Amino acid sequence: MTVNFNNREPVYVQIIRYFKEQIAKGVFEPGQEIPSRRELAHWLKVNPNTVQRAYKEMENQGLIFTEGNLPSRVTRDEKILRSVREELIMEAVHAFVSTVQSINVPVEEAVALVREFYGKTGEKEGDRNDRSEKY
Amino acid sequence: MIEVKNIKKKFGRKQVLKGVSFTAKKGEITCLIGVNGVGKTTILKAIMGLTPYYGGEILINGKRINKTAYEKITFIPDAFIMPSSMKISEAMAFMKDFYAGWNEERARELLEFFRLREEDRIANLSKGNVAKVNLLLGLALDADFVLMDEPFSGIDIFTREQIAEVFTSHLIEDRGVIITTHEINDIEHLIDKAVLLDEGVVVKEFAVEEIREREGKSVVDVMREVYRP
Amino acid sequence: MNKYLKLLNFELNRFFKIYLVLIVLTVVLQMTAVIVECRQYLKQANEMIYGMNASKEQFLADYGQMSFVHIVTNGWFMWSIAICAVTLIIYVFFIWYRDWFARNTFAYRLLTLPTDRINVYLAKATAIFLMVLGLISLQLILFPVEQGIFRAMIPDDFRQDLSTADIITFSKYLTVLFPGTLIEFVARYGAGLMVVLVLFTAILFERCYRFRGIFFGAGYCALAAGIFLSPILIEMFTEKVYLYPIERFFAEVALGLFVSGMSIFISRFLLNYKIRV
Repeated sequence: MTVNFNNREPVYVQIIRYFKEQIAKGVFEPGQEIPSRRELAHWLKVNPNTVQRAYKEMENQGLIFTEGNLPSRVTRDEKILRSVREELIMEAVHAFVSTVQSINVPVEEAVALVREFYGKTGEKEGDRNDRSEKY
Repeated sequence: MIEVKNIKKKFGRKQVLKGVSFTAKKGEITCLIGVNGVGKTTILKAIMGLTPYYGGEILINGKRINKTAYEKITFIPDAFIMPSSMKISEAMAFMKDFYAGWNEERARELLEFFRLREEDRIANLSKGNVAKVNLLLGLALDADFVLMDEPFSGIDIFTREQIAEVFTSHLIEDRGVIITTHEINDIEHLIDKAVLLDEGVVVKEFAVEEIREREGKSVVDVMREVYRP
Repeated sequence: MNKYLKLLNFELNRFFKIYLVLIVLTVVLQMTAVIVECRQYLKQANEMIYGMNASKEQFLADYGQMSFVHIVTNGWFMWSIAICAVTLIIYVFFIWYRDWFARNTFAYRLLTLPTDRINVYLAKATAIFLMVLGLISLQLILFPVEQGIFRAMIPDDFRQDLSTADIITFSKYLTVLFPGTLIEFVARYGAGLMVVLVLFTAILFERCYRFRGIFFGAGYCALAAGIFLSPILIEMFTEKVYLYPIERFFAEVALGLFVSGMSIFISRFLLNYKIRV
């Protein structure tokens, strides 16, 4: 696992974002068991307490759920899963549009460029069946 | 919990510690940060009863250090502390003999993880491997607190990564860790709490995630502010 | 008690190799003494009797019979004892300083073991004491063996067989190591142990206070000596004799125990509150 965390943002926030990315990508499937806090801390090379905090927050947000003493799982709630996807898309769009607007690019040009770039890199980015990357 | 309350220490005429106070909780990794010579090692030694101090007190789970406390708190200094003529297996046997809390299973696990051979004589090991043996002997004890003095100093990067891995593994488990370093870069994302020392006092004690959340600063940013180089 | 025994075992093991060397050295040197002395005597006898045609009686009148005392006062023999003694005296200091100044600072480990720190002190003292007794025992075993060789090498007429007790008395210096009575033995070696305890305390003063500690340590030695020798000193200065010998003996025993106890007490304090690694 090579996730690079920056040191200025709370690590638990970055972990949650990472989780959302993996969910949106389909690497973490709905209902799938997630690693224990210690396992994840070890894989990500971060303090287990921050993973703990991340899990708690994700539980609050409904991203994961825990039944009794069983390991936590990714939510099956379609609404939440969709909103995660949307959230990430909107974040990317927001970042792109802000940057591009700040250098005064008109929207038609921007969309054309996006389409071109999509065409070049193909549908690979959207391939939800790519399971080769586990965790 | 380890509570250091207002301890002072002189070396000759130099007042090294002018009233140092901080706490370290079990289940957290507390990092003492400061330049060389500020007294980080002295503080760890004071906690272990290896150097006298005055003016304050140090409590481990509410009590002053005594012989039973040595099962609960282990010190891994920046030097090797077993006779160098010993083989690793002999050092392990020694620990097993004297400590009720010696966990043989965990010791073997660490041997494997660090890729050490127990027939090797400590005198013949490289510095990196000596550091690993040091860690092994300290971590294989079922102690609540682990004090590490500059665990990453003078060690090659691969050993450093191995040692960093230990921090996130079950080997640290729910223990309290106090580590000293002047190289915070490697381990910023591993620690819970930072204690910045300067001129014999604690200038800032803070929870790392809190600072990130409230002020968007990394530990290094805070250090820059506090130390004003 | 358990940890004390473990520490004692550890200390004895640490010294084992050197101890073995001392034993071998002692045996070799003393055997050399026996053979060298006997040969020299025989050489002299042969020179006179065969070389100069003297009679046996004449030789014996001039040179006398050889006794084991000759061997015991031979250089090789005395060196074997001296080397052992000096080695152990050095080790009284080395047994502590090696834990601070060897390649690895074992003092860190010793002082953070889950045991009373005084056990470290007591184990070291006991180890030295046992090692001394061991060498004494070795000597007592070697005596008859060496005497056997002596008897085999020197013919009856030329030999004066003495009891071990007489040999010791006539050698003069051996009476120090092998006093006549059990009580004297216990008292003397007990006093030796007390000296070790006092020296250990002085060493601990140095380890606690470093440079100033040397003076504290020396001062403590002087104090201990003063207390222990007070009966003798008082009599010296007042030029009056206050105590019968038996009373002086008991006084010394009491003072010896006091000084030993004081050393242990102070060492315990130093180890628990003042020691530095």
